[in-house]
Amino acid sequence: MINSIIRYGVIIVILVLLQVLVLNYVQFSGFVNPYVYIMIVLLLPYTIPAWLLLIISFLAGLTIDLFSGTPGMHASATLLAGFSRPYILKIIAPRDGYESGSDLSMASYGARWFLVYTATVVLIHHTALFYLEVFRFTDFFRTLLRVILSSAFTTGFVLLIEYYRKGR
Amino acid sequence: MRNLLNFLLKYNNLIVFLLLEGIALYLLTTDNNYHNSRMVKSIQGLTRGMEERISNVRSFMSLREINSQLASENSLLRNSLELLKNREDNRFVSVTDSVLGEQYRFTSARVINNSVNNQKNFFTIDKGSRKGISVDMAVTNGRDVAGVIVGCSENFSVAISLLNLDFRLSARIKSNGYFGSLSWDGRNYRYAILSEIPQHITINEGDTIETTGFSSVFPEGIPIGTIRNLKKSGSDFYNIKVELFTDFKKIHYVHVIGNLKRSEQLKLENQFR
Repeated sequence: MINSIIRYGVIIVILVLLQVLVLNYVQFSGFVNPYVYIMIVLLLPYTIPAWLLLIISFLAGLTIDLFSGTPGMHASATLLAGFSRPYILKIIAPRDGYESGSDLSMASYGARWFLVYTATVVLIHHTALFYLEVFRFTDFFRTLLRVILSSAFTTGFVLLIEYYRKGR
Repeated sequence: MRNLLNFLLKYNNLIVFLLLEGIALYLLTTDNNYHNSRMVKSIQGLTRGMEERISNVRSFMSLREINSQLASENSLLRNSLELLKNREDNRFVSVTDSVLGEQYRFTSARVINNSVNNQKNFFTIDKGSRKGISVDMAVTNGRDVAGVIVGCSENFSVAISLLNLDFRLSARIKSNGYFGSLSWDGRNYRYAILSEIPQHITINEGDTIETTGFSSVFPEGIPIGTIRNLKKSGSDFYNIKVELFTDFKKIHYVHVIGNLKRSEQLKLENQFR
């Protein structure tokens, strides 16, 4: 129990620092912004109570907000992702269900499952995030393009990190 | 009572979600002047120190470029100094006069936090009200337009970047003096859009765009960019794409320009509104 708290604590700190110190400065032509910190929501264990998941995702989003000067934007998007995670997990559940002891990782449930899982959560998060950012529906399709491009990029990034995590 | 408790238990996640989402959206909608939102202000002290450290490292890496930029600016200033000297010699008496003629005052500052990848970009500089900076002062990068101060604390100021959907600037074409409104369309951080230029005048790609003095924020004639692309749209106005002189991805040192006569001008203008 204590072990896993420390482990997830370290993961959260690393991901937030990665986002704030490195990825916030990665700017491809203003269209593609990877937000890899969403992995926090993805990786938390299956058995976590839903309310705790909500609070952790809210706080994680708020931390990112503080560093990018956008109070509430990342928090609300991440919260939405955290809220939808149990439903997504239910829909894409593998045939024999989830084992309570295992991580929600590529190693436990396979690359294909992880890809679907990541892509869905990331898409929900990015849609909320980018539409909240512009806060208007003019240029609807351009924002949609940003959502799709950034989602693809973030998903790729997450898979890459997960792939290397698998090795250990 | 029991039913109520059962209801709360059954939907506790939804309630937590709605509560937190409510907080987040409240923060977001008061975001328009976010430096005023008290809660953020108090926590910002924590992240500021860190941001300053990051920007220290980043500015160290680009010292060479800044050096050459400063050198070219120096030579430009020296040139204009030379011109002024000659002019003064021609006069019969020279009077040192700091009140009557001076309208703008310049000070330099360092950018410690900046972004170009959002739709509403702001940047933070390391001087605040203690150094005499106040809201509605102009910010330039070298000689080129960068933004306008929108909020100050004692030691820091936040400026709205030209790369912000809410930013509007009165701009004119240098060659013929026609003026329009410059804004960013959120697409590419190197380009902005100049609108309200009527189609009956002739303009060319490569023409320089500069500020008008109308807003009383920017001095007259601060360069903004050059015309890259112009389209005749269905309306009576051109659709002009302007390549900005300022590369927002590498601004490190900026000038803040205060208009000493701004309040006087505004006071006079308000009498006729």
